[in-house]
Amino acid sequence: MLEAAMQRLLLTLGIVALLAPALHAQGNYEIQVYGADTEPPKSLMVELHSNFTPNGQKHIIDGVYPTNHQEHETLELTEGLTDWSEIGFYVFTSEQDGHGVQWVGDHIRPRVRVPDSWHWPVGVSLSTEVGYQRAVYSPDTWTWEIRPIVDKAVGRWYFAVNPALERTFHGPDVKQGVGFAPGAKIGYDFTKVVSGGLEYYADYGSITAPDTLHNQQQQIFLVTDLNVSPKWEINVGVGVGPTASTDHWIVKGILGRHFSWGKQSQTD
Amino acid sequence: MDTPHCYRQAVVTRRSILKISAMALASSALPRAVLPQTPADYTLEIAPTTHDISAKHSIKTTAYNGQIPGPLLRFREGKPVTIDVANRTASEEIVHWHGLFLPPDVDGAMEEGTPMIPPGGQNSKAARYIFTPNPAGFRWYHTHTFAGDDLKKGQYSGQHGFLFVEPAQNPARYDQEIFLALHDWDGEMTGSGDGSMNPEYRFSTINGKTLGFGEPLRVQSGQRILLHILNSSPTEQHWLALPGHQFQVIALDGNPVPTPQLVPMLRLAPAERVCAVVEMNNPGVWILGEVRKHIQAAGMGIVVEYANRTTPPTWQQPEKLLWSYAQFAAKTSQPAANNAIEIPLVFESKFVGHGAPDHWTINGKSWPNVESPLLQAGQRYRLLFKNPSSDDHPVHLHRHSFELRSLPGFPNIHGIQKDVVLVDAKSETHVEFTANHRGATLFHCHQQNHMDEGFMMLFRYA
Repeated sequence: MLEAAMQRLLLTLGIVALLAPALHAQGNYEIQVYGADTEPPKSLMVELHSNFTPNGQKHIIDGVYPTNHQEHETLELTEGLTDWSEIGFYVFTSEQDGHGVQWVGDHIRPRVRVPDSWHWPVGVSLSTEVGYQRAVYSPDTWTWEIRPIVDKAVGRWYFAVNPALERTFHGPDVKQGVGFAPGAKIGYDFTKVVSGGLEYYADYGSITAPDTLHNQQQQIFLVTDLNVSPKWEINVGVGVGPTASTDHWIVKGILGRHFSWGKQSQTD
Repeated sequence: MDTPHCYRQAVVTRRSILKISAMALASSALPRAVLPQTPADYTLEIAPTTHDISAKHSIKTTAYNGQIPGPLLRFREGKPVTIDVANRTASEEIVHWHGLFLPPDVDGAMEEGTPMIPPGGQNSKAARYIFTPNPAGFRWYHTHTFAGDDLKKGQYSGQHGFLFVEPAQNPARYDQEIFLALHDWDGEMTGSGDGSMNPEYRFSTINGKTLGFGEPLRVQSGQRILLHILNSSPTEQHWLALPGHQFQVIALDGNPVPTPQLVPMLRLAPAERVCAVVEMNNPGVWILGEVRKHIQAAGMGIVVEYANRTTPPTWQQPEKLLWSYAQFAAKTSQPAANNAIEIPLVFESKFVGHGAPDHWTINGKSWPNVESPLLQAGQRYRLLFKNPSSDDHPVHLHRHSFELRSLPGFPNIHGIQKDVVLVDAKSETHVEFTANHRGATLFHCHQQNHMDEGFMMLFRYA
């Protein structure tokens, strides 16, 4: 019964996505709602985020390239430090007719989580991310983010929220102060391998003086996660931006692979 | 052979004992055990307790007589015993006498028909178990309740204790006898990479203490130490080694093995027991500990100290895990064909979401909606354990023992009698037993989370 309800909900939201209005400028390099788990020590997660904007901003605004038909490839490397901490590193690139393949910027992202031994009823971690992106791709060149992460799996259902706070150190949004950019995910396990769900991303602007709805960025993605192997991570989705400041259509994919090293003894 | 003479368990209040005893005087058919002038041979009290497992950590749990493990019960083979069990907890309890050939109404499994012991306070109802212990050997007793999501209940708690049935004739040669129980504590259900969920534990102990806490095992050079080791862990297998020494394994699950062997380490699946003699011929101070580093770091170890030796304890890390049941099998020729009736039992999991533990099935069905094969008394049966799942399963047959007949890589063995066998993931194991103890007979995986999720079935006698 729940399964049928979930299928109807996903279908409805998919139709809503198809009917959504046209949008304005936005850059998308890593589109992901974080789960609370961290990468185990002595292992590396290599992820490739591939995001294409079939229908986005078509004009150069304040020197920023339009997002329409931009293909973003982001390499994310995440190294486990301890049972409760990791550090991630990003390389952002963009490919677009007339501009070719361009390096966009880099970020670094340390993260800690609440250890299992604390017996919290939900998974909790805290990520912080700082980095640079070129002005032709983002008017705010130096940014910082702190992202609390809470998640919970209950039976076939999965819930995650990322109420992130952002701060710009260089660029037009310096005046904005702290911005609020939450993300959330709800997923459902149709089988052991196939999960489906919705992901929500937003940028409301300043936390003290939120933007008008017109200027807010909001996206809803219909996604599927394929749990084909403990070593692999596969996430595919299509998203729509229902506000004027958001790209109309975005297609995203994440392909990740865990690598472990060090002598793995039977007796470790 | 049928089950030895036993009485049905009686659940009585202390007040009702007087009433019942008066009735008993009038009726010789009632068990004399309820007479107040015949106190029980043993008394167990199930009650909440706080137990120090190290200088820094204590565990709030439930235990027998406030101690972990519970008191050692030593019985004489064939001599009836009476045990009163009082339940001071807030929930129903039951005590299973693991490895004994008892009737279903005292064996200690509700599914077979043993009554649960009602919850209560200081004046609560007590249960009286009366039975004739058989067979001789190293057995144990433990709770047999459902735990589910509560990783403080059932076998996750401290409700376990040693039970030793002395043989009528005991030819064993040893200078000191030591009982050790391996246990894991403070579990957290976590998802694994393959999508299933299993507990992970914060602490692991020997006799309720982490390594370095509590008294060492004190030995003397030249002694023969007989170790009786029990894995009472709710879910985990354990490997044990004692650097500088070897274990002469003489019995598995309390039953003498046909071919005793010297081995460098022991493996015990949940509910398994190993009896091994160690020649103390390497004076020093050593760690008898879990071979896997992260489990020993969680506390599973105990110091073995020779007399007049005071050096820091020594541990030498093995690089491999070594164990095979087959090395203890009979070396003699195979027994003649016995026309055993084959019963295939297929163990599989059923996915119910990444946020829930898998359900377990035997031949596609989960407890209580399961098959109940009908056994003919005196008939030999061959159970074909087929485990295509990704988990190992320590399966246990109540009220009987079985003979290992086929293991991965050893398709034709005989002579090893057990009541628990670890069926490796993606493998097949065959055992045989003779249906010689009438009554409902429970069969299940001894991992608490697996039996809670349906991995149980009953055999019934025709």
